[in-house]
Amino acid sequence: MTLGDRKPVSGRFDAVIVGGGPAGLAAAYVLAEGKARVAVIERGDWPGSKNMMGGLIFTEPTAQVVPDFWKDAPLERHVTRREMWLTTGDSTLKAAYESSDFGVEPYNAFSCFRSRFDKWLAAQARAKGAVIITETLVEDLLWEHGRIAGVRTSRPEGDLEADVVILAEGVNPFLTEKAGLSKGVRPEALALGVKEVLALPREKIEDRFNLDSGSGAACEIVGEITAGIPGTGFIYTNKDTISIGVGVILKDMVDRAGSAYSLLERFKEQPQVKRLIDGASPREYLAHLIPEGGYHGMPKLFGDSVLVAGDAAGMVNAVNTEGANLALLSGMMAARTVLHAKACGNFDSYNMSRYHEQVQSSIIAKDLKLYENVTPFLSAHPHFFSLYPELASAAVKEFLTVDSLSKADKLHLITRLVRSQRPTRRFLKDLYDGWKVFS
Amino acid sequence: MSGRFPYDDRDWTPPEHDVTAQLGLVKFKPDENSHLKIKDPRLCRETCRRKFCTHSCPAQVYRWEEEEKSISIAFEGCLECGTCRSGGCPYDNIEMKYPRGGFGVQYRFG
Repeated sequence: MTLGDRKPVSGRFDAVIVGGGPAGLAAAYVLAEGKARVAVIERGDWPGSKNMMGGLIFTEPTAQVVPDFWKDAPLERHVTRREMWLTTGDSTLKAAYESSDFGVEPYNAFSCFRSRFDKWLAAQARAKGAVIITETLVEDLLWEHGRIAGVRTSRPEGDLEADVVILAEGVNPFLTEKAGLSKGVRPEALALGVKEVLALPREKIEDRFNLDSGSGAACEIVGEITAGIPGTGFIYTNKDTISIGVGVILKDMVDRAGSAYSLLERFKEQPQVKRLIDGASPREYLAHLIPEGGYHGMPKLFGDSVLVAGDAAGMVNAVNTEGANLALLSGMMAARTVLHAKACGNFDSYNMSRYHEQVQSSIIAKDLKLYENVTPFLSAHPHFFSLYPELASAAVKEFLTVDSLSKADKLHLITRLVRSQRPTRRFLKDLYDGWKVFS
Repeated sequence: MSGRFPYDDRDWTPPEHDVTAQLGLVKFKPDENSHLKIKDPRLCRETCRRKFCTHSCPAQVYRWEEEEKSISIAFEGCLECGTCRSGGCPYDNIEMKYPRGGFGVQYRFG
């Protein structure tokens, strides 16, 4: 096929990868390193131009793909503090963990922008020998004798033949559905995330968030901000911008005719948030779906000549807000599977199933299994996002307000308050159900 | 579809917040033709009361035009998230494809 003014791409590939995100690019990097002939097809102008992340880049899994990546990659801040906020609108209960260990090389995690990081990662893969084809949409799969034999792109003469197609197409699994591996993703298993990037001078960010130069904070916020819809807010510090956003379960949001951006607007208006972003000028607004279906939300990961990785495979751990790391790992596993199959000269589903086995014995399947019931649980117990934060806040407020009531009377008052809002039996059942989810 | 429909389909109210200013910050390379389509406009008019897409779409691509009694589609400002094809329209009445290669949203940050 022809690539505009660039040199034409021809011949057969060992692997064609659909999508230039963390999963696809990690796969391309490892395959190219293994001397396989590999092409990544990206529909955006550059890999990353369609991508958004609320979260963090974690060092260990990323370094498995590109060792010492932090010395060269476009990163924002190394994260030294993680915060969890419980908000009720006019009050906030915070828990924070801070470690100076996270402030020294190789660091634990970084804030970053996908559009820039993925562009960089693509350049690394290209340097290893991968072909990166941009501005090209994969419209269909090529089939030969009932098995996938390549992809059909939007370009003239745009068919690309390959022994294996790795579907790293992201959260909207158009091709994974066409391959018969996914039946589509249900709105119960999706979160809609909206985010704004707000510019603020770096000293102000470091002052307001109480940070050393170059270090960053990551905050998860639960409570009133999602108006009872299961979901969270988040704030990440970048070099001279702040990422602020809200993610809510799509089914619950639609059912209440809620709007993610309205929740974000209200979130930004909360006094404790407003202080942090005061005077910041907006630079970008973004929206993206997140597959939060957990273990049971995953599609079939392999077939003859095909593998599914990253978001397309539902590989997101919503509880710990991990996704890009799982995408990277899955891309590497997919690449190793293809390299092994190439050595055997056989790409049928038996050899492809090695990928499934690797995923199963890795943190991807293990962590997703651990949390498999969390999303349905939270959708069925929306008071965990409304009533309980309020009760917790009221209890702490009562204890911190010094007046003529004795501490014993205060305890009594708090107990009565909880009972009036949630009968003891229901409260204990919530606790038990919540405990069961994690065990 | 009404009795067992699992969504709360009440009367339409306009979105409480306008995202035009936010979308002004985003770089788009719009294609000539829409990659989004209402499958059956009659369903929007006669069955769907709440016009869910006017609330669920984070880019407010879908707007209810009271005079024309139809949904208008500002596909040029689509953020390509997929909400409309994955439950953002509970009647599954929106056909969403990705724009052609090299078109659509271009995030500078991401």
